[in-house]
Amino acid sequence: MKKRNLLATATIMIIGTLIGQEEVSINGYLQTDNRLRTGNNEFSWNENRLNLQLEGAPSDQYHYFSEIRLRGFGFPDVNQSSDLQLPEKNKVYRWGLEFREAYVDLYGFGSENLDVRIGRQIVSWGTADAFNPTSNISPDDLEDIYNFGQRLGTNAINANYYWRDNLTVNGIFVPIFTPATLPSGDFSGAFAPPMELPPGLIARYLSDVVILPDRTISKSSQYALKVASNLFTYDVSLSYFKGQDDFPIASNVTFTPVDTMGTMDISTVLMYPEVGVIGGDFAGSIGSVGVWGEGALTYPKKVSMITISPSFITPGQMDTIQTTALDDEPYLKFVLGGDYTFKNGLYFNTQYIRGFIHERGKGTLNDYFSFRLEKKFLNDELKVVPIGGAIAINNWDDVENNYGLVYAPEVVYYFSDNVELSLGAFILDGKGENLFGSIKDKDEIYLKVKVTF
Amino acid sequence: MNKIIIRKKYLMIQLNQLLKKGSRMKRLINPTVFFLVFSIINMQLFAQNISAMEILKTVDAVVNAPKDIHQFSRMILINKDGNEKVRESEMYQKGDDMRLVRFLSPADQKGIGFLSLPNDLMYLYLPAFRKIRMIASHVKNTNFAGTDFSYDDMSSFKYSEEYDPQLLETRDSVYVLELTPKPDVEKDYSKLVIQVRKDNFYPVKIDHYDKGGNLWKVMIREKLVKKGDYWIALEMEMKDLKKLHSTKMVVDKIELDTGLTDKTFTKRNLKKIK
Repeated sequence: MKKRNLLATATIMIIGTLIGQEEVSINGYLQTDNRLRTGNNEFSWNENRLNLQLEGAPSDQYHYFSEIRLRGFGFPDVNQSSDLQLPEKNKVYRWGLEFREAYVDLYGFGSENLDVRIGRQIVSWGTADAFNPTSNISPDDLEDIYNFGQRLGTNAINANYYWRDNLTVNGIFVPIFTPATLPSGDFSGAFAPPMELPPGLIARYLSDVVILPDRTISKSSQYALKVASNLFTYDVSLSYFKGQDDFPIASNVTFTPVDTMGTMDISTVLMYPEVGVIGGDFAGSIGSVGVWGEGALTYPKKVSMITISPSFITPGQMDTIQTTALDDEPYLKFVLGGDYTFKNGLYFNTQYIRGFIHERGKGTLNDYFSFRLEKKFLNDELKVVPIGGAIAINNWDDVENNYGLVYAPEVVYYFSDNVELSLGAFILDGKGENLFGSIKDKDEIYLKVKVTF
Repeated sequence: MNKIIIRKKYLMIQLNQLLKKGSRMKRLINPTVFFLVFSIINMQLFAQNISAMEILKTVDAVVNAPKDIHQFSRMILINKDGNEKVRESEMYQKGDDMRLVRFLSPADQKGIGFLSLPNDLMYLYLPAFRKIRMIASHVKNTNFAGTDFSYDDMSSFKYSEEYDPQLLETRDSVYVLELTPKPDVEKDYSKLVIQVRKDNFYPVKIDHYDKGGNLWKVMIREKLVKKGDYWIALEMEMKDLKKLHSTKMVVDKIELDTGLTDKTFTKRNLKKIK
């Protein structure tokens, strides 16, 4: 905790120093985000956020940028009276400091046509909205399940070479692997299939160990290459990524009996599989309709899962079974989308998504459709989204029992320049084992207020 | 006689534009050649009357006369109650078909960039998404960042390429032309009625009509000044009569012919923060 306070103090001092420099631009936003479960009237999210961005371009040769996020959470973590007496007050006011990005851009570095970005950065590839299967450099930030598409910064060297007017070669090297963050609380199981225990077994304690890749170039480093150009009136690109999947997978499960009644402690070892990803995307229009597509063919390295459990044949003995957690057969995720603005200003956006963020392996990919209809009123001061959300289908042969739906209407009021208020809802339904079906009882309404400065 | 003088001005402007197109051309045309060409032009003046298309081409030439433009401006959005919102922007333009606009304020729009290239290519950079998006044609007739200008209005001024003109009337100080979109050009406007100053061929007022033939938007260019050889409007206002909303663009600083290269008008430059 002392280290964290030191970090916060150092950050404030750095900001103070930079404020004194005229060329530094300081922007950011304040946001409060409050969500209420309609089923039980329980608050599920209460966050106040100060986002600070510092940047400058003292010359045409370089530019720097940094973004930090100070967050306060409204749910106290008080379990005993001593928690109320801490001078840090961090049990009453839970908070977190996130160092999202800090990089420098060097323009014309060694060659007039070469730009290099060094430092912690968010790399966003792909032409699709929010879901980008070709974007594997920056890990997913899935803390907020409804805000998927967010990414974490990762330390990288990112070089862009601009060859002639319409060809860009982008090469990225990431020395150290950064894993994705996952949803917390009762959304934590949304991306994991329910654990099914054999009949008669009862789980007492569940524990897991996450194994990160060794910090060596061969084990932990990632690299990617993308070539982008124009073909007729379309933007197109081809890419390759070599590294690790940022979602962990179970490679070892041990069932330890604690009594003779079938009660078990279950421990799991999680690791990050190595993958190679060949990607491609395009964006353009057919007639006046905007269209885009993005696909990623993933070549995973096979992951075996070892299960150690009590033998049913020889009591007192443990059996070891080896199965396949992830096959090395390639699988294709892709997105096809389009948007259109009608003459009356009504905007419609839709996407077909084959394979969601957490799905991997041939035979495990589901189909999703996202949609959004919005219209602005009062000279763009009011934005209404009457229809928005997504549908998941995980078995076309029995759709009635294998579907998920999230309906997300929203109203955004731009009270003034830089001030916006959002009121919306997430209404869920579904059956079967799919993303939305697994959280179907967690309908929420939310209110967000954001002030940009 | 009046028509002859106007015709002379038109041809002089056209010739002037020709000479400014490049230093190589300037080197090729010596004073003797210039005198001969000018004499031929003068003789032609008596034989022809200026046509609507010639006026329109001259309008394009005058508006796009500078080889390049770099300007800082304010866009003041005014609603029906008179309340104002201000957007500050920086704009680069080269020729008549390359333009880059970048918002400097307000904070929630800072860094948003817009790039317009030949062949109707348009790109939008949204810093929050860290992505450059190609703008499909359905977006081109929507409002640009809450202003009363559409993306298409912001992209370029090449009336003669996109519209067929008809001379409606000639007043004391202005020509009045009616422009209808060419058959293969898709516009949200059924026609424009444009008033062109006779003395400098600058378009000072443009009435935009919707598909139903109703007057929809009115653009007025004011505070015309001459910077070197070029006429520049320091204020331009677009009024949307349906929304009772207007956007006034005020030029705070302008630099002409600074030698901008094509590299300014690239996606690489679009995402650079200045």
